[in-house]
Amino acid sequence: MASRTRREILVGGGALAAAAAVGAGSASAQAYPTRPITIICPWGAGGGTDATARIVASVMERELKQPVNVVNRTGGSGVVGHAAIAAAPPDGYTLGIVTVEISMMHWQGLTELKPDSYTPLALMNEDPPGIQVNAASPYKTVKELADAIKKAPHGSLKASGTGQGGIWHLALVGWLTAMGLKPDHVRWVPLNGAAPAMQDLAAGGLDLVTCSVPEARAIIEAGKARSLAVMAAERNPAFKDVPTLKEAMGIDYTTGAWRGFTAPKGLPPAIANTLTAALKKVNESKEYHEFMNNRGFGIRWADATGFAKFMDEGNKAMGVAMKAAGLAKG
Amino acid sequence: MQLSDRVTGLFLVALGGVAAYGGSRLPPVPGQQIGPEVFPMIVGISLAICGGLIAAGVGRRYENEAEAELTEATGQTEDAPDAAEPSPSRWRELWVLLPPVLLIFYVYVVDWLGFLPTAAAIVLVTSLALGARWRLAIPVAIVAPLVINLLFLQLLRVPLPSGLLPLPWIGLP
Amino acid sequence: MSEIAQGFGLVFQSDVLLAILFASIYGLIVGAVPGLTATMATALLVPITFYLPPIAAIGAIISSSAMAIFSGDIPGALLRIPGTPASAAYTDEAYAMTRKGRPELALGIGLWFSALGGIFGTLALMALAPPLASMALRFSTFEYFWLAFLGLMCATLVSRSSPVKAIASMLLGLLVSCIGIENPAGTPRFTFGNTNLLGGIEVIPALVGVFAVSEVMRAMLTAEPPKPERRRLGSILAGQWALTKQYPKQQFRGNIIGVLIGVLPGAGADIAAWVAYSVSKRFSKEPQKFGTGHPEGLIESGSGNNSALAAGWVPALLFGIPGDTITAIAIGVLYMKGLNPGPTLFTEQASSMYALYIIFILANILMIPLGIAMIRASSHVLRAPRASVMPVIVLLCAVGAFATGNNLFAVLTVAAFGVIGYVMERNGYPVAAMVLGIIMGTMVEQNLVTSIMKSDGSIIPFFNRPVAAVLAAMTIAALLWPVAAWGLKRVRAQAA
Repeated sequence: MASRTRREILVGGGALAAAAAVGAGSASAQAYPTRPITIICPWGAGGGTDATARIVASVMERELKQPVNVVNRTGGSGVVGHAAIAAAPPDGYTLGIVTVEISMMHWQGLTELKPDSYTPLALMNEDPPGIQVNAASPYKTVKELADAIKKAPHGSLKASGTGQGGIWHLALVGWLTAMGLKPDHVRWVPLNGAAPAMQDLAAGGLDLVTCSVPEARAIIEAGKARSLAVMAAERNPAFKDVPTLKEAMGIDYTTGAWRGFTAPKGLPPAIANTLTAALKKVNESKEYHEFMNNRGFGIRWADATGFAKFMDEGNKAMGVAMKAAGLAKG
Repeated sequence: MQLSDRVTGLFLVALGGVAAYGGSRLPPVPGQQIGPEVFPMIVGISLAICGGLIAAGVGRRYENEAEAELTEATGQTEDAPDAAEPSPSRWRELWVLLPPVLLIFYVYVVDWLGFLPTAAAIVLVTSLALGARWRLAIPVAIVAPLVINLLFLQLLRVPLPSGLLPLPWIGLP
Repeated sequence: MSEIAQGFGLVFQSDVLLAILFASIYGLIVGAVPGLTATMATALLVPITFYLPPIAAIGAIISSSAMAIFSGDIPGALLRIPGTPASAAYTDEAYAMTRKGRPELALGIGLWFSALGGIFGTLALMALAPPLASMALRFSTFEYFWLAFLGLMCATLVSRSSPVKAIASMLLGLLVSCIGIENPAGTPRFTFGNTNLLGGIEVIPALVGVFAVSEVMRAMLTAEPPKPERRRLGSILAGQWALTKQYPKQQFRGNIIGVLIGVLPGAGADIAAWVAYSVSKRFSKEPQKFGTGHPEGLIESGSGNNSALAAGWVPALLFGIPGDTITAIAIGVLYMKGLNPGPTLFTEQASSMYALYIIFILANILMIPLGIAMIRASSHVLRAPRASVMPVIVLLCAVGAFATGNNLFAVLTVAAFGVIGYVMERNGYPVAAMVLGIIMGTMVEQNLVTSIMKSDGSIIPFFNRPVAAVLAAMTIAALLWPVAAWGLKRVRAQAA
C-alpha cells in the first residue's frame, strides 16, 4: 500500500519535515558536537515529560548548532527508557530526560538503576503537589481538613491522585507521617493518574486528591474543586491564594515531581560542561519560560552538582517514605 | 493448526487454572483490602469454566448454524484453506510460521545489520515464499524498505537503525 | 454574533487553512498504515505546533485525528487489517463486503458516515457541552465499572462464532491485560522477571499481530484469490444517500451512542465503535446477515466512532479532563497556546471557541474529497499481486510496532500475537473479542477494585447511585435477555 501512495507521502512528508526542521543549522567548527544528538524520553509521546523534552531540544538545537532529536523509549512503566539512557555510550550524543521515578523504582525492586547511575547535567522542573477537595466539601482550610483527618477512623477517608506507590501517593504518606499519623490513615484509592482522580473528586467519589497544581488546574478553575495548600517551600505564582503547608499549619514538608537531564555514566567532564551550559541557556530563554508558564509547569534550575545533591536527598527521603508505607521491597 | 474443540477447551482449562493459581500466590498489598490476586483469579476460573464447556461441545451447534447462514448469504464457504488446497502436508503447514520467524529475525538482527538490508531480506523471503518470481521480488525488496525508511524518518521522525548500510542520501542518523 | 464572525476570521487565514490541509493529509496517511494510530499521528504533530499560531495548531490536531480515525477503516476493509483499534470492531464486516466485490461500498460507508458523525458530534459539542459535561462528571468508578462490563458483553455480538468461544476469547484478552505493573495494586504480575513485560502488553502490537500477521500467515497456505475484475471503482458516494435514507435510525442511534460514550473521559472512539456495532446487531431485524458484508452495523459503528471523537472534546474543553488519549495531547497544546481549558474559554475567548467549532466542521467536510482520493489511491492494492503486498505488510508490522515506543520488544509481541491469532482463528475463536478484552481489561479491574475500596467492601453503591442504577439495570437485562429468549424458544418448541 505504501508504494501506491508514494507521491502523497513524499509531498506531505516534505512539507512537514520542512516545518519541523526549523532551527537545524549548519555544522559548527567546534569539536563537540559534530553530529546530531538524541534525547531519550522514557515516557510516551504527548505527555508532559515528552513535551518538556521537546521544547528543551528545540532550544538546545539553536545553542549547540546540531539537530537534537527526542526519541520516546517507552515500556516497563519507565524502566525501559531509564535503562536505555544509562546503557548508551557516554559520548555526549545520547542524553536523557530523567524523572522522579528514578528515585522510587529501585526501592520497589523494579530495577537496579538509581540516581547515581547517571552523569547529572541539570534539573529543569519541579511540580509540588497541592491538596485538593471537592468544591462542596465542608473543609475551607487545610487546617480544618487535617483536624477532620485526625478525628476520622482509620481508613474511612479516601484519597487518590495516581496509582499505588506513585509520587502523589507518597506525598500523602509524607504529609500524614509529618502529622504523626499512620501512613495509611487515609486510604489510598489507586487510580490511573491525576486526571481520573480529579474527575472522581468532582463526581463525589473521593474526599481529597493530592496531585500537582497544573494537573488540577482546569477543574479548580471550573469551580468543581478547591486547592487548600501546596507542599512546597513557596506559593505557586498562578495560584497566589493557596498557602504552603508551612504557612497554613506549620508543617515543613515539601516534595514534588521533577524532571532533569542526564547522560550515561562516564561522560567526559568537558562535554558535560558544554551540555550543562547549553541547558542553562535553555533555562534562561524566553521560549522555555513561555512554554513552562503556559503549561503551568514549575521551573526549577540546578546545575550538575546541585542536581546530584537534589537527587541524592530526594532518593533518601523517598526510601524513608516508601519503607514507612510498606511499598519498598526488602 | 486445526485442533479439536476437546484439545483447545482442555488447553483453556489448564491455562485458566495456571493463571488462577499464579494469581493466588501474589503477595497482598498493605492498606488495600482487594489485592492484585483477585482479578486474575476471577478471570482464570471463568476461563477454565469456558474451556470445560467448549471441551464438552457446548455451543458447537451454533457454530454450524452460523456457517450455514454465511454460506447462504455469500454463496461461498468461509475461506477454508483445506478446501482450496486439499489437506496440506504437515511439512507444508510449517510455512505459516515464516512471518513470525521473520519478525523475530528482524528483532535480533536489525541493530547490527541496519534497517535497509534486514528489511530487504524480509521482503525478498516473504515475496518468494508467496510464489513471486525474482523479477517481481527483487524490485519490491529494494523499493519498499527505502520508501518505508523515508516515511518513518521524514513523516514520523522515527530514526531506524543504520547498521552497516545507512540511508545513502540523507545526512540524518 | 460578532464573535462568530471573528471566529470565521480566525479560521479563514492562509496559514490556518494550510495547516489544516497538510495535517489532514498527514492524518490520512498515518491512520492508513497498520500499527500507526490516530493517537500517534497527533502526538507527532506536537513539536510542529510549537511553531504554529494557536488556531492553526489546534486546527492541525483536530483535522489530523479526525482523518486518522476514518482512514483506519481503509486497511481494515481492503486487507482485513484494522488501522486503529476503533476500526477493529467492524473490520470483519467491511472485509466481507470487499470479498463480495464491493470495496467501494464498504469504504464509502466508512467515509460518509464518519464525516456525518463528526459533524453530529460537533453540533452536540456546540449545543450541549455544559449538560453533557455535567453528566460526565457524575461518572465515578461505580458507573465506569458497569460501563466496562457492558462493553465486555459486546464480545458475543461482534463475531460469528459460538458464544462460548467468544467469551473464552474475551477472557483470554482480560488475562493478557493482567500482565504488568499497571494494576491497582502496583504489583508486577505474570512478568517472569522480564522488564519489558512490566508495562504490560500494549493494545497496538497485539492488534497488529492478531489481525495483520495472522493474515499473512494464512496467505502462506492458501492460493492467491482471484482478482476482482478490472473495472472502475465506481462512485464512492453513489449508494450512500440511499443508505442514509434506508437506515436513518441506525445512523442516529450510532451518533447518540458515540456522543454519550465519547464525553466520558477514558472511554473513547474505540469503545463507542464496539458498542454501536453490538447495539446494531442486537436490535436489527436481520441479525443473521451481520458479518457477511451487511451495511447496517458499519453505518452504526462508523457513525459512532467519529461522533465520539468530537464529543471527547467536551470534558477536555470544559474541565481539562481528557476524553481519550488524543484529547490528552490536545489539552497540552491548548495550554501551551494560552487557550486554557475551563468555562472561561467559552465566555472570555468565545471567538476562539467558534473558530474551533468551524475547524471541526471544516475538517469533516474536507474529509470527503480527501478521503475519496485516499480510497482511490489505496484500492490499487487490491489489484497488486499478493506477493508484493504481503511482504510490505510484514515490514510495516515490524516498523509500526517499533515506532510506538522505539522498543524492539513490541515487534516480538507482534510476532507472538500473530501465532496466537492464527491458532485462534483456525479453531473458531474470534480474535476481535480478544482485542476487546485487552482494551477493556484495565478499565474493568481498575473500576471494580477501586469501587470496592471506596465503599469499604460494600456493593450497595454499585446500585444506589442514580446513574449506576440505570447502568446496572441495563447490564442485568442484557445478561438475562439471551437466557430468557432461549427459555422461551424451548417452551415454544415443547408446546409445538
